[in-house]
Amino acid sequence: MIYQILAITLKELKVLWFDREALALLFAMPMFFILVMSFALEGVFQAGSKGHPIEILAVHRNGGPIAARTIADLKRIEGLILIETDNGIPLTSDKAEQLVGKGAHSLALVFPEGYTEQVLKTSKVSQEEKATVYLISDPAMNLQLLAAVKGAIQGAIERQVLFAGIPQQLKEIFGTLEGMEGQLDNMLGDTNVGERESSGVDFIHTFPKGFNVSRRPTATEQNVPAYTIFGVFFIVLTLASSFLQEKKDGTFQRILAAPLCKTALLIGKLLPYYLVNLIQIGLMFGIGVVVFGIRLGHLPALVIVSLALAAAANGLGLLVAALGKTEPQVNALSVLLAITLSALGGMMVPTFIMPDLMKTLSLFTPHAWALAGYHDVIVRGLGVKDILTEMLVLFGFASLFFIIALWRFRFDE
Amino acid sequence: MKTSILIVEDLWKRYAQTDAVRGLTFEISKGEFFGLLGPNGAGKTTTIGLLSGLIEPTRGHISIAGVDLFSRPMEAKARIGLVPQSFALYPSLCTRDNLVFFGRIYGLKGRRLKERMTRVLEIVELTDRANQTVATFSNGMKRRLNIAVGLLHEPEILILDEPTVGVDPQSRNAILESIHSLNQSGVTVLYTTHHIEEAQHLCDRVAIIDQGKIIALDSPARLIRDFGKGMVCMEFNAGIADQLLDQMKRIGHVRVVDDQRRKIHIETNGIDEASRELLELMKARDGLIKTLDIAEPNLETVFIHLTGRNLRD
Repeated sequence: MIYQILAITLKELKVLWFDREALALLFAMPMFFILVMSFALEGVFQAGSKGHPIEILAVHRNGGPIAARTIADLKRIEGLILIETDNGIPLTSDKAEQLVGKGAHSLALVFPEGYTEQVLKTSKVSQEEKATVYLISDPAMNLQLLAAVKGAIQGAIERQVLFAGIPQQLKEIFGTLEGMEGQLDNMLGDTNVGERESSGVDFIHTFPKGFNVSRRPTATEQNVPAYTIFGVFFIVLTLASSFLQEKKDGTFQRILAAPLCKTALLIGKLLPYYLVNLIQIGLMFGIGVVVFGIRLGHLPALVIVSLALAAAANGLGLLVAALGKTEPQVNALSVLLAITLSALGGMMVPTFIMPDLMKTLSLFTPHAWALAGYHDVIVRGLGVKDILTEMLVLFGFASLFFIIALWRFRFDE
Repeated sequence: MKTSILIVEDLWKRYAQTDAVRGLTFEISKGEFFGLLGPNGAGKTTTIGLLSGLIEPTRGHISIAGVDLFSRPMEAKARIGLVPQSFALYPSLCTRDNLVFFGRIYGLKGRRLKERMTRVLEIVELTDRANQTVATFSNGMKRRLNIAVGLLHEPEILILDEPTVGVDPQSRNAILESIHSLNQSGVTVLYTTHHIEEAQHLCDRVAIIDQGKIIALDSPARLIRDFGKGMVCMEFNAGIADQLLDQMKRIGHVRVVDDQRRKIHIETNGIDEASRELLELMKARDGLIKTLDIAEPNLETVFIHLTGRNLRD
């Protein structure tokens, strides 16, 4: 039986090798997507440079001088543009949040009313009464970029808070020296500072209301697994068409007339496509690593997700082969499933910015689970035990597809 | 006593409300060239599907070289060589790759596989095309390769389903010759066709099948002797009158084929004399005859005699 399975597998690989269109579909298409889409999103990676400045909405009207000085400090950083008004009207916290929520801007920095006073009196008050600065970001924003911006903002805040604390520290140092107080007061002008600590400001990163965001992938980390999954499911068309072609040519009947069990025939037919899927995945992630430098994370976990993903894709292929009776039916069904499930599963738009209904629906696609699995491994750095749920769900999808396919599959047509 | 290679007993196949095969019973002896003759839709291909284990029968038994096809399908299938009506080849692969694949499916490997490939390519005269892609083949060459695949594992019975469909006369003759040679070398052949000449010249025995049933089974010579009559088939431009019909009935047995009396068959034992008399009769009715076919007794006239229809209807 194994000999026969291998014979079918080898034959299938040979037939596939000569089917240039199918190979182009399976390999060139996702590669094209990865390359084109990633280069198209290159601006995201270059953002923050002089040529691609990052715009930050700044709300500090009632924040006092320390807030104003922090904003002024940030304005001096190359690659950052601080926007303080909207249509000539000074921004409010609500307006800034609204603009970010709508996607008009990616970031808003909000210094609440009384920020300066709070900074100056922070040192001896409880943690709850610390001065607070809010950074509101678009969930779709690139994480690396966000980290860099956060660093710059935090630096500016700390610096200004530190400067504000210098007079008080100098007073503490020189305060005991008689006769110096007056000179010091003259040197420091009219700044009336209280005691504070350099860590006396809470910097809170948040998202506009209505978003529910946990750990987000970078654009490349999002693109490579997403388009890989997208490409993997194009095996559905190739696989289903192969069954249909064999039935049309009569080779399927000829194989069935041989002393060969149906299980061996199906395994032999599916195995090469499963292998092709794994090669596809390897190639796509290879491009991700070589061209875009993504980190793959825990490899055994990545392999497990890939094995489960390929099984689900092959199961769906067999299901389409069982349901599609004609070439147009198979083509239409395959493309419909490839596009719809990909879109729904977060291959084109990340699920974390989808409406709740769409998020729920995405859970009924193998794509979403595969992407979640890949993100667990690649983005969140998790291991095998952390992707067991995704693996089980993907193999569950595969089993479901296979069961329905075998129920509906007509060998004698 | 001759050994039976194929035994078919009370074989039925029902699809929805239609019986495609209705109680077929026959045996094929070792080395025999057995024909299954019938019009399109008679149930030949369904019968082939049943005999090669592709279709589950509604009821009945099939035994291949003593092995029951339904209780021991793997053993039985290994004894059958199927040459389907479709080419059933991989066009993007070369001849050799096709043979290697199908040989492996039948469990052939190594030297044995090579030997068999060499032999079957010789039989179908495609040795010099071993490395050629099948897509570049003519229909005749594809038909020959189709036969080669069926022969690869040295089956005890070779089942050929209309193996000359869609080929030019020259290739057809070459295919028929090679099948005849195979049979002469001892291969048992079950051959389906709707070409009477093929059945008449090749087959030791012919089963005439119509609407899923065998309506006659014997050697072509005996069938023609028992049922075959000379036949004049006439088609008219208008329905013929009672008087003319009565006159024709005096010449032979008249069968009116259609309701408008535009088509008639006249069966007779003396075809030459009947033809002469008919032409004489029609002289005075110039322009009435649209077509006229005069046939010596053959399997076609046997079929018409038995069913009232042409094989190609």
